[in-house]
Amino acid sequence: MSTAFIIREAAETDLEQIMALENACFSNDAWDQDTMHFEVVAHHTYYLAALEGDALIGFAGLSKIPGNEQADIQTIAVAQSARGKGIGKALMLELLKEARRLQAEELFLEVRADNPAAQKLYLNLGFEHIDTRKRYYQPDDVDAWVMRLQFARTTIGREPIVLGIETSCDETGIGIVRGNTLLANIISSSMEEHARFGGVVPEIAARAHLEALRPTLHQALAKANLSLKDIDAIAVTNGPGLGGALMVGVGAAKALSVAIEKPIYAVNHLVGHVGVDILERGQLETPTVALLVSGGHTSLLLVRDLLNDVELLGETIDDAAGEAFDKVARVLGLKYPGGPEIDKAAAGGDPKAVRFPRGLSLPKDMEKHRYDFSFSGLKTAVARWVEKTEAAGEELNVANIAASFREAVADVLVTKAVNACLDHKVPRLLLGGGVVANARLRELAAERCAAHGIELRIPALSLCTDNGAMIAALGAQLIMAGRAPSSLHFGADSTLPVTSVQTL
Amino acid sequence: MPNWTLCIDTSAGTTVAVLQGGEVRSEIHFDENMKHAERIGDAIAQAISGAGIKPGRVGSVVVGRGPAPFTGLRIGIAAAAMFAEGVGAQLFGISSLDALALAAFQKRSATGESSSKPILVTADARRSEHYWALYSGLTKNGAPILIEGPGVAKPAALDQKFSEQQVERTQVKISAVDLGKVFDAQILDGTASHVVEAMYLREADAVAPKVLRDFGKKVSG
Repeated sequence: MSTAFIIREAAETDLEQIMALENACFSNDAWDQDTMHFEVVAHHTYYLAALEGDALIGFAGLSKIPGNEQADIQTIAVAQSARGKGIGKALMLELLKEARRLQAEELFLEVRADNPAAQKLYLNLGFEHIDTRKRYYQPDDVDAWVMRLQFARTTIGREPIVLGIETSCDETGIGIVRGNTLLANIISSSMEEHARFGGVVPEIAARAHLEALRPTLHQALAKANLSLKDIDAIAVTNGPGLGGALMVGVGAAKALSVAIEKPIYAVNHLVGHVGVDILERGQLETPTVALLVSGGHTSLLLVRDLLNDVELLGETIDDAAGEAFDKVARVLGLKYPGGPEIDKAAAGGDPKAVRFPRGLSLPKDMEKHRYDFSFSGLKTAVARWVEKTEAAGEELNVANIAASFREAVADVLVTKAVNACLDHKVPRLLLGGGVVANARLRELAAERCAAHGIELRIPALSLCTDNGAMIAALGAQLIMAGRAPSSLHFGADSTLPVTSVQTL
Repeated sequence: MPNWTLCIDTSAGTTVAVLQGGEVRSEIHFDENMKHAERIGDAIAQAISGAGIKPGRVGSVVVGRGPAPFTGLRIGIAAAAMFAEGVGAQLFGISSLDALALAAFQKRSATGESSSKPILVTADARRSEHYWALYSGLTKNGAPILIEGPGVAKPAALDQKFSEQQVERTQVKISAVDLGKVFDAQILDGTASHVVEAMYLREADAVAPKVLRDFGKKVSG
């Protein structure tokens, strides 16, 4: 949701509009013009104006006397017609940041006892109700709540240090970030334990998470050179993914949050993959199309805003692309995981030797499944080709088959992703997920994106595979946007939709 | 000042208790044997606040290692391990069946029975099976003495193995309080263990493909 308002420091020239709004909002007890004039121009105050075009739709002021450790919110007003758009919260966040910059230790405000909406906003920002002044507001005869925010206990106005826990598949990831900066990214994988089964076994993955949690946590803290006392918040993947595996992380994260008395943020794994770009570039450029390809997911997302507007354009209707690599590797007698094995086998092979089908790419499929993927037919086609060749007594050219199969996967992935960019006029494509390790996928994406003037972003592989750093980064974004933490009641949701960035 | 102990067990429902030097300061029980992930955070937070302490006061964390259905069990162990990390507490593991055994012996002595038969403790293992362990009694300090098991078996097999003349069976429910009491007794006995590995007693349900190439034939057939 793009908001149409801007916030800037208020000036004397805003006074007329400020007074009009003051009188409209506080009909009974509005300040007079002289008082307001002094407030706006005084050296010890900081006043902000919210504007929609030229119209002033809100204002708010802070008072901080130099040398005094306490600061006060003097006033805040938002035009009736502009309420419910987050303007009040945005004004408050800016004042809070300024108060921290001015080295205030505590910030106070008064709010009418009969204004629960405002109270809730302040509580969510970290204010506590510490006192009540009886009949403070006259002539209405309404009590005032005195509320206090202690800066030592909030991260507002500074970069929060967040520890992220990821256990949605076969990787136990614990990452630590400070705001947009990566401090640690430790991954413990149970991949080898799955090798003899040719794919991820959920129960084995869950058992491995339990064993890996503590050593992974220790390594992450050591790498970041921090102790748990330094952590401001915990973020954890609560879906989508394997249920039993997710639950290990959820239980761990909740207990850690209670133990260190810090808030917890339950976040979406797939949105985490998108947000990880922030750790490399300092920001996520939006809008962007994101193609996430792993052993568990094949999803095409349109991201207009990381926290507010993520749309699922399409996903696989059967196997994930990574799964297809694993299964075809088995058909070809190659090892698990299939991706790197097929990459190796394909070296020197002719990608045009066999024209394997591109799933959901026929005109009739494209009507209904323009951005969806299907890989089970492709896997079957490879199996049939192998059988047919062997039945005919011909020798199997594994290099050609591997190269042709890989080409079919990369082609359909990149074609649909580029289509999504062109259809939605989005000049950016972000890749994520473990299959990004595939050299041909990266090469083809680079080629086609360049041909269409689309900027291609491929984060470092350690940030593309499942990891805790991306979860920590998404948690940090939520905190810096002033989002309230999750409750302790949330569960693991193996089919969590991408529209749910945070589970409260 | 006696040590504060946080006790967690998710082998059946979600049960959490805080003990101080053998005295129960708080206990929280969610009976349903699902939703452990949803409950565990609240259960710990409520047990801590119910005991009137800050989390940092906890010096020992004790967790039930099962045997139990896996998914729920892991959540309690993961939570216990991370709580201990978070507050710098010592972490201990106890067989959940030990806690059941303590409850069973306490029940027997409460009813004034003078039987000295061993007690067979069982817990639902799903798939029409029971986890079981056989206990002869309690140590001087009150820790259950394991003489056979733990194992997993069909009820009929258990009936065959242990006749009514040989062993006594009682129905008891697991409580983190009993887990804490077993822990206190084990500390005094010098048998408390830092091992918190889950007791699964069953292999993960997964069969490695016999012939890898079979796969292609199956899907095309």
